[in-house]
Parts: sequence; structure tokens; C-alpha cells
Amino acid sequence: MNIAHVDELDRIEMPEGFQWRPVRRRFGIRAFGVNAYTTGAAGGQIVEEHTETQLEHEEIYLVLRGRVRFRIGEDEHELGQGQLVHISDPQLRRGAVALTDDAAVLAVGGKPGEPYEVSAWEAMFAAVPFAQQEQWDEAIAVHEEALRERPDHPALLYNLACMEARGGRHLDALLHLRRAIEVDSKYAAYARKDSDFAAIRSEPGFPAA
Amino acid sequence: MSEGYQVLSLDELEPIPHRGSNLLPLRHTLGYRAAGVNAWSADTGGQLIPPHEEDSGNEELYAVVRGRATFTVGDESAEAPAGTLVFVPPRVYRTASAEEPGTIVLAVGASVGQAFVSHGWDSYAIADAYRRTGRIDEGRAVLRTMLEALPRAWYVPYNAACWESLAGNADAALDHLRDAVELDAEETRGYMAQDADLDPIRDDPRFQELLA
Repeated sequence: MNIAHVDELDRIEMPEGFQWRPVRRRFGIRAFGVNAYTTGAAGGQIVEEHTETQLEHEEIYLVLRGRVRFRIGEDEHELGQGQLVHISDPQLRRGAVALTDDAAVLAVGGKPGEPYEVSAWEAMFAAVPFAQQEQWDEAIAVHEEALRERPDHPALLYNLACMEARGGRHLDALLHLRRAIEVDSKYAAYARKDSDFAAIRSEPGFPAA
Repeated sequence: MSEGYQVLSLDELEPIPHRGSNLLPLRHTLGYRAAGVNAWSADTGGQLIPPHEEDSGNEELYAVVRGRATFTVGDESAEAPAGTLVFVPPRVYRTASAEEPGTIVLAVGASVGQAFVSHGWDSYAIADAYRRTGRIDEGRAVLRTMLEALPRAWYVPYNAACWESLAGNADAALDHLRDAVELDAEETRGYMAQDADLDPIRDDPRFQELLA
């Protein structure tokens, strides 16, 4: 049986302070987005502050355990087990802080009217522990796997280039950075300021030089 | 609360009897559009998830929100305390029962590679429960939302015809049946020929005209 308790899921410590518990990746779900979030301690972030402007996902956040304070736009709501917030407006800023150490939130999302596509951020989140440990080969492999399904996804290409630059694969980094900028020119400005590219910034092929 | 979001407790949802379980009709209540989302509640020993397979190709994830459940998937069974997640691929038998009072399980489902469309089984379950308990106006209001949401689907007016037939409203039932025939005569006539829900209007000459 494909069964796991939320505490048995991988725990990815994110720099923003919340713990990503990959549900969709764990079970190989392809039909909708679903993930869980926990926190290190009461007072910590449990749902990242963000909007869904880019993905246009309609989201549900359900409190599985503990108490959580959501901030939705300008409003705040304290919710406990079995309570949820449904956000249909992708432009509304949302985030949450845990009020108890044991808080756990399940998030469900997808874009109405379109088949679900695996979100690129999942690969980027999954690579975070490897990047923190400077395990660049592993971080690169996570991105390459995601790019096999989404070959021209600019954020994935850009992040891959970051990992390659840090891992000493300078030629690959230049190629993938150039491709990211071809697909979406905003990445040229990002690259100019990104410390991940310190090692290749002076290379003749660096696109943002 | 501003527009664009809503806050809800699963405890606020009125349990709807459905196939031996208690449906907490979350998708219908929220108007959620990106996947099927519903919850089920039961007390100790009660059935949570009606035994079924998802023939439509739906992947489903179940999350135990409160209490404790026993899941059976295929020929395996497992205990599932609150916080447990169970994934079931399409075409695999599954059911679940409660091991503690007030157990709640959330179910999320959709088909791979397809935009989610609600075919309204959950909304019809609400309308049907209302009809059985004499809440005719409330049930009819639910039917109206279904007819507005899926104006081109023959089975929506067909189900509305069944509902009105069982509620004893022959004229309304026949009006809906006429709409269903206009949308898909072959499907509608195939079902109406043998559907016991339509027995109360079967001898009406207008029914026989629609069947012809």
C-alpha cells in the first residue's frame, strides 16, 4: 500500500524556515499538486509567503495538526485541525506561521481548466539540501530529471546553471544560462547580480557580462 | 473577509449520506475547480470511504485529518492514524472505516493529463439527501447550480429528471428529460428505458413520446 504518515515524509529544511514535506513526489502523483508543510518550532514560518500569480493555482491549505496563523492579503486567521483556507484569487498574497510546534498543513493546488503539470519549484526545493551540502552533482541531477519533462523551463535552466557554475561545470553552466535567457530575457538581469555565477562571470561567453 | 478566499472548518459541513458513508461535501461548498476534493466522516466502526475503484482514471490521495482509520487497498489493510496519507492509483479497489469517534478523511482526486471537470456526483448526492428529507426547495437549488455549471452535459438534466420524478413532480421531470434528449437522445433513451427512478412517470404518454 502506498501509505505514509506526514512525519515519515522527507523533511526539506527551507532557508525561509519552513519544512517542505513532499507528498506528490513521494507517491508519484501526476494529476494534482499536493504537499505538506511543518515547522521547526512554534513561531516559525510554515507556509511560505507567496502569490500564485505565475502558476495561477487555486489552492486549499488544510491544517492537519496543531494551530496555524494564516495571513491572506491583509487578513489574519488562526486555524486548527480540520480547518482550511481556500484561495481562488491567485494574486492574493498568502503565508502562514505555526502557533504550535507540532503544526502540519496539507496544501492542494492546480490551475482550473488545465491538466496538472508538475511545478518546477518542486525540483528546485528538492535540490536545496544538496546545494546546502555543496553536493553539486546531486543538485544538478535533480534539475536534469525535471528538465527531461520540461526541457525549456527557464527557471529550471537558470537554477541548473547556478548549480553547474558552483560545481565547476563552467561550460554547461554557460550553455544553460544562455538558454534560460533565450527563453525568458529577465534571467539576464538576475544573472548579473547572482553570486552563484561568480566563477564564470568573467568568461567570454557569459551572456550578461 | 475579502473576496478571493474563504475559510472553512470541515466540522461546518453537513454530513450527506452517500453509499453507506457520510460525505462532507467540500468541493461543492467551496466551488473548488482544480481537482475533486471531499471529506468523509464516521464514528468507530462506521464506513468512511465507500468501497469502489476509480474507473475514470482518477488518482486519489486520502489524508486522515482526525481520529484513526483502517484502509483497505487491493487486498492489503493498514491502520492509519491522523496525519496519514494513502495514495491509490486508478482501477484499484479501496475502502476505509473509522476506528475512533469523529474520524475524518480528506479525499483529493483528478485524472492525469486532463483538466478537472466536476461531473457533479457530489452535488447530486446533496440534492438527493435533501429530497429524501423533504427539503425540496434546497434540493432544487442544488440542481440549478449543476444545470448552470454543465449546460451541455445530458446527464445533468437527466439526473434532475430522476430527482423530480422521485419527488413526485411529473411535469418538471418530463421538462428535464426533454432537455436531456435534446442534448443526447441515444444516451438518454438508453438509460430512461430501464431506470427505476423514472418509474413514477413511465406510464405518462409524454414519457413514451420521449422514448420513441
